Amino acid sequence: MPEDLKEEIAREVASTRIVVYGKGTKMAPRCGFTLETVEFFNALGYPFEVIDVLENMPKREALSEITDWPTLPKVFINGKFFGDTDILEPMAASGELKTTLEEAFGGAPAAPKATINLR
Amino acid sequence: MIDDDALTGLIVDRLPDAQVSIHDRTGTMDHFNVTVRSQAFKGKTLIEQHQLVYRALKGALADGRVHAVELTTIITES
Repeated sequence: MPEDLKEEIAREVASTRIVVYGKGTKMAPRCGFTLETVEFFNALGYPFEVIDVLENMPKREALSEITDWPTLPKVFINGKFFGDTDILEPMAASGELKTTLEEAFGGAPAAPKATINLR
Repeated sequence: MIDDDALTGLIVDRLPDAQVSIHDRTGTMDHFNVTVRSQAFKGKTLIEQHQLVYRALKGALADGRVHAVELTTIITES
C-alpha cells in the first residue's frame, strides 16, 4: 500500500471526528448505502465529513486494506473504524453509539435534528 | 452476478457451521441482504464478526460478482 495514501487517510480520520468514506458527496450521494449513512448522521445532529472516493481506486484499496473491510461506505469516529450502518444501527439501538459520540465530542450535539428511526 | 448457492458456498467455505440466508434486494443478483448464523462469532465484536464474513466474500466483491451487501450476523450457541 502506498505510504502517502496511508498517511493521507491517517490525517483525515485524525482531523475530523466523524469521517464517512463513501460514493458521492454529502449533498449528492451516488450510492444507496452512502445516502443511508448520510441520513443516519444527519439525524444524529453531530457534524460529519463525507469523503468521496468513488473514482479513487488506489485510495479505496488502501482503505479496504487498513480496515479489512471491502465495502463502502466506511465510517471512522475519533480515528477508530466503525464499519457501516450495519454496525452503527445496532450500536444506536443499544445506546453504545450515544456514549461513543458523547465521548468523541465531549457532550450532546448542539441541536439534534431528529431521532433515528430504527427498522 | 452470483446465485444464492454460490454465495452461500463462499461463506460456508470459511465458516463451515454457518447457516446463511440470502435475499436479493434488487432482483439483479448483486445487491444482497445476507444473514449469517455461526458459532464462530462468539466472543467477537460486531465489526470482527462482519470482517469474518467479508473475508469470505472478498474475491466476489473485488471482481464485481457482488456489488453490495447488507449484513446481519447472529451468534449461535454450541
